[in-house]
Amino acid sequence: MTLGNLRDLYQQVILERYKTPRHKGKTNPVHRYQKGHNPSCGDTIELTLQLSDAGDKILDAKFEGEGCAISMASADLMAEALKGKTVKEALEMVERFQQMMKGEAEFPKELRKLNVMQGVAQFPVRIKCANLTWHALKAALQSSADAESNGFISNEKEEA
Amino acid sequence: MTITKERTLAEIVRKDFPILHQEVNGKPLVYLDNAATSQKPLAVLDALRNYYEQYNSNVHRGVHTLSGKATDAYEGARVKIAKFVNANLPEEIIYSRNASEAINLVAYAWGLTHLQPGDEIILSVMEHHSNLVPWQLVAKTTGAVLKFVELTPSEEFDLEQYKTLVSNKTKLVSVVHVSNTLGCINPVEEITEIAHKYGAKVLIDACQSTPHLPIDVQKINCDWLVASGHKMCGPTGIGFLYGKEKLLRAMPPFMGGGEMIADVFLENSTYADIPHKFEAGTPAIAEAIGLGAAVDYLSNIGMDKIHAYEAELTAYLFEQLRQIPEIRVYGPQADSTGGNRAALASFTAGNVHPHDLSTILDQAGVAIRAGHHCTQPLHRYIKAQSTARASLYFYNTKEEIDVFIAALREAIEFFGGIFG
Ligand SMILES: Cc1ncc(COP(=O)(O)O)c(C=O)c1O
Repeated sequence: MTLGNLRDLYQQVILERYKTPRHKGKTNPVHRYQKGHNPSCGDTIELTLQLSDAGDKILDAKFEGEGCAISMASADLMAEALKGKTVKEALEMVERFQQMMKGEAEFPKELRKLNVMQGVAQFPVRIKCANLTWHALKAALQSSADAESNGFISNEKEEA
Repeated sequence: MTITKERTLAEIVRKDFPILHQEVNGKPLVYLDNAATSQKPLAVLDALRNYYEQYNSNVHRGVHTLSGKATDAYEGARVKIAKFVNANLPEEIIYSRNASEAINLVAYAWGLTHLQPGDEIILSVMEHHSNLVPWQLVAKTTGAVLKFVELTPSEEFDLEQYKTLVSNKTKLVSVVHVSNTLGCINPVEEITEIAHKYGAKVLIDACQSTPHLPIDVQKINCDWLVASGHKMCGPTGIGFLYGKEKLLRAMPPFMGGGEMIADVFLENSTYADIPHKFEAGTPAIAEAIGLGAAVDYLSNIGMDKIHAYEAELTAYLFEQLRQIPEIRVYGPQADSTGGNRAALASFTAGNVHPHDLSTILDQAGVAIRAGHHCTQPLHRYIKAQSTARASLYFYNTKEEIDVFIAALREAIEFFGGIFG
């Protein structure tokens, strides 16, 4: 088997985060709640955010969910990278991550941990998995503050 | 003197399937996603090509030679399909785009006109979304109520519980013959007989049985049966509905348009007889002819022979899977003959998520399915978020099962390292 190729996809960091996520759970309090769902495979993510009083900064991000190594590691790494970011910065990160999945960008030094997801770009059918959590984030940030009432987003039509 | 070993069915037929002879990710392709769709033999590809190269024409519309030829081939395929499932008459076979459309035809043309508030429709928890959603829609519109047959501890159709569900309120029983996820073969004859005692109609979703087992609609005695051509060596875009003649005659049309009419006036029309009443517009002519060729191809081999060979593969597959402790297969275990269930296995592999597993196997050239296989409620019922599924057809070999098993072991090891 071409394990070399797979090592690019399943970097050690990804496997470790899949096994022992560091940001699983729910923020306290919950200022934003968003469910993400991948109907074709059944992967789900429930993302929660705690924002600053002014609502312009992410103080904490956590996720619950079930899914493959790629989707879960992606969520864990994202939650970590979001802490302390402004809403504007976070939305820029969404854009950059999606560009990275097309092989067109990577993150600067201070966010380089996210670059371990780069290998996914070589596996087009798995891009959906990596993007799920970022889709949920975008929807969460664009939604109004009445947290739990949000529905869920589906990323079925992405990168088809 | 040379001793020649008897060739297996796969060894004989593989040359008929050009697509199988290729490398994927640098490895010989091992195609184990046949429950999603089957590959097509040359005979079918040739039939499509011949049609387009030699007699492409609309059916039932022209008096010219090519139109006559196209019509003969199109209607000839119907006769083949009718014979294949032992229908009484060719008119009992209605072409559809696929099984889903055939179920919708019954749901709309029969369901909407025959169901009253409080009437009951019995389905099972193992149904494909195609045999759930149309009935949910019909139930919402008519006020009919859905009831569900559950599973036995061995994850098969619970016939005893079914018996307690059927009553005079039951108007329809619509169940799958062979589950595309569990691989169990449901007792459709008995299910039908019981339903008929209460005057209920029966629809059988034969998507996963028609490609693999001899089907006899008169023996099952069901009122309708549906199948998709693409899962039985035929092209995509063509499937069929079998229905009992009397019942089909009594059903109103499903869609309006050309082909399905007798006389059209501005305000109203009279309809063509069956089967054309249900075939509005220019049909999938090439595809129907292709399906006819597929049915010929399968019949020439013999469905008994296909089933017997697949049983052998099933027994071998399960024997191999049993030796991997991390593997949990859903649905009934295969008996020693392998003939008690379908040649597929839906499973989970310890800590390896089905999606990751599928990617890793793909690197080894092995194509399997990962996800919920359009049976989300069933996955909820068996408490699996998703499963991996390897599904076989008569062109697969024991050697391919070996490649699959070896890749599966490697994948478990690859992930097992981190969970160790
Ligand atoms: C049991 C069963 N029923 C229905 C279907 C629907 O078939 P189609 O998508 O061809 O309409 C399938 C195939 O996915 C199936 O396996």
